[in-house]
Amino acid sequence: MNLLLKLIVFIVPTTFILLFFMILTNEDTYPGADYNQFQIPEFELKVLDNSMTVDNDLLDGDYVLNVWASWCITCIIEHPYLTSLSKNGVPIIGLNYKDEQEDAIFWLKKYGNPYQTILHDYKGNLALDLGVTGAPETFLISDGKVIAHYQGEVNDQIWNDVFLPIIKDREMF
Amino acid sequence: MIIEISHFLSILATGLFLLVGYFSILAPSSNSSYISNLIVRTYSHGFFFLLSSFLIYVWLAITDNFSVQYIANHSNTALPIFYKISSIWSAHEGSMFLWIVFLSLWGFLFNIRVKNSEVLKPKTMGVISFILVGFLIFLLATSNPFVTILPIPPLNGADINPVLQDPALAIHPPTLYLGYVGFVIPFACAIAFLLYGDSKINWEALVKTWSVSAWVFLTIGITLGSWWAYYELGWGGYWFWDPVENVALMPWLAATAFIHSLGVSIKSSQLRIWTILLSILVFSLSLFGAFIVRSGIIDSVHAFANDPDRGLYLLGFIGLIVFISVSLFILRLSSIQSLSRIKKFSKQSFISINNILFGALIFSVMLGVTYPLIYEFLFDQKISVGAPFYNAIFIPIVVLAAIFLFFSVDSKWSRSINFKFISTPISFSILLSLAFTLFVMQYFESKSISILASIFAGSLIIFRYIYEIINFIFSKKFINPFSVIAHMSLGLLLISISFNSLLSTERALSIDLNSTEAYKDLKISFKDIGVENNANYDSIKATFLVEDQTGRTFNLKPEKRRYFTRGQITTETAIHVTVLRDIYITIGDQLDDGSWIVNIQINYLIRWIWLSALLMGLAGIILVFSHRVKT
Repeated sequence: MNLLLKLIVFIVPTTFILLFFMILTNEDTYPGADYNQFQIPEFELKVLDNSMTVDNDLLDGDYVLNVWASWCITCIIEHPYLTSLSKNGVPIIGLNYKDEQEDAIFWLKKYGNPYQTILHDYKGNLALDLGVTGAPETFLISDGKVIAHYQGEVNDQIWNDVFLPIIKDREMF
Repeated sequence: MIIEISHFLSILATGLFLLVGYFSILAPSSNSSYISNLIVRTYSHGFFFLLSSFLIYVWLAITDNFSVQYIANHSNTALPIFYKISSIWSAHEGSMFLWIVFLSLWGFLFNIRVKNSEVLKPKTMGVISFILVGFLIFLLATSNPFVTILPIPPLNGADINPVLQDPALAIHPPTLYLGYVGFVIPFACAIAFLLYGDSKINWEALVKTWSVSAWVFLTIGITLGSWWAYYELGWGGYWFWDPVENVALMPWLAATAFIHSLGVSIKSSQLRIWTILLSILVFSLSLFGAFIVRSGIIDSVHAFANDPDRGLYLLGFIGLIVFISVSLFILRLSSIQSLSRIKKFSKQSFISINNILFGALIFSVMLGVTYPLIYEFLFDQKISVGAPFYNAIFIPIVVLAAIFLFFSVDSKWSRSINFKFISTPISFSILLSLAFTLFVMQYFESKSISILASIFAGSLIIFRYIYEIINFIFSKKFINPFSVIAHMSLGLLLISISFNSLLSTERALSIDLNSTEAYKDLKISFKDIGVENNANYDSIKATFLVEDQTGRTFNLKPEKRRYFTRGQITTETAIHVTVLRDIYITIGDQLDDGSWIVNIQINYLIRWIWLSALLMGLAGIILVFSHRVKT
């Protein structure tokens, strides 16, 4: 009886803890990542400097869409990594999210501009349709279709684990 | 500068707690009175450093010091002071900080209220201090709230999440945290008792009021959370078996079993193994709750965004605590077993049955929370465990527990009772409950066995205690006020939940402006809809005129808000509250034909569910105070 009790109180918590350890160290767990594929909804947005209007047809091909804003602290942290991606030839389109135009332009002057084009989503309509809940968020898009989505800061590890396998698989960029 | 002072004070506190832990447990001469005085004082200093650090942090939040990254990310100059303060616990780092401060507060109160001559006190303080050190290192190393943005701080903060801008939410987490961490006292005492190794020490009596106080906070905290989810998140019910609700429920179940078992151990030195195991279980489950919400392992409304390192640290630390406790327990097991056997049909026997039933409930919830994780890990498929699973397990066990409770009212400490099933109180309650259940069955045409069984079990308890109260009034038979209130609230809870699921209905209507739709006994007229612009959000506000069968009318104004800074959409429900039912309206989207989707719920007795939970908390408060008057 005592031995049984000793075994139970030892084995039950140990099992749970080992199990959680295995789940936590499992390489594929990225809570911010999801791979639901969907068509980009219809949109029509001005670019940040108001010089032209962009809609679905103008944005085709493969690219990375990065949601950012000047009020977003994490975007500053993420910024150097995006810049290095852009230097390595990854096309990045910015989606400026709920931001004042002047603030956003000032921000880019201050930190540099890794984006090929920046859409100005002042009301957050496109972002809402894409399922954005905050900034920064990053989408991998291929021929008008979202194929990967990450909520939060993209860094080397996230890029290599969440996006790169798909990019290699599909031979993008 | 002031940020660094705050940061430094908490590092200093960590060092002092480490000293307390070392001198009370590891140092060789830990039993001298000089050392134990030193321990008491050093702990208090550590606590004051940590408290000052936290108060400075609150000050930083109030004065909008956005050079603190955490404050910049979660507060905003436009917020009222109340929410600037509550923004501290709106995300991981700050809430962890608060959690630790509360933990040290319980330790401090124990430190000043318990006499130095108490043999277990130094080791108890030592255990608390080591736990504090572990969590402070976690805070400072993996989730530092003092990280600054220098040299140029942002002009304004990113704002608190709008669903958290609510008075109930400002008090729900602190209350719940006070409950969770309060169980550090019984846990630390149990470990001190095991370390000390003298089975004659009555550690159980030392922790009674502390455990019940923590239980009160936990009960009220869970109730507040349930109420908040109902009206603010628009969930429209009182309980959803959300993983994070479940990780709060498990410590509550364990704590409830623990304080019952504790009573037996104090009274007759029996069930001591149960009591020790439960004290370890309650605290481990509280820590497990912190692990679940902070490791990112589960998606839920409550989960904090986070990285896996935090999860690993927490898991490692919890694992260490559990490992040490369990090893100590195994080591001392033979010395704490009580020699006297528990008599059949004595009060002790009923409480040990209660322990077993609650153990089964806790295990089922644990399984429900972890099974989807295990399944996804092993088979790479997502499954969800929801209400049907929990209902199937909870209803029979709770009904069974309630029936045992009903018979336990007659039982006596350490004496077997021969039940006369035709004795007045038993037959009185059974007959009345049967009559009530049959009435419900006929009148409401209910055939659901689980609902009828719950109603029967709930009324058994209530009638049985009404009989006791009558006896008390007319023949001055002794009753325990807290026991009567707590158990009658359980009966009330069972009945309210049953009627709620029996009678409540819900319907989504599509309704045009200026038209009237009927639903049940209600006539709902859609009077107005308009857009309102506010400082930090736009809202669509609708007005409905509702008329019930008695001809009374009232306006309901549900809203849908879109917040600018985070783009989040929140639904503001409109609720008309009466004694028996809530009428609960939320608006959805506009359809292509111009009509609007409106969701209407009629929730019966939902207020009674929270009322019963609060009454349980009240029973605990009465117990704590009556105990204090006596000593």
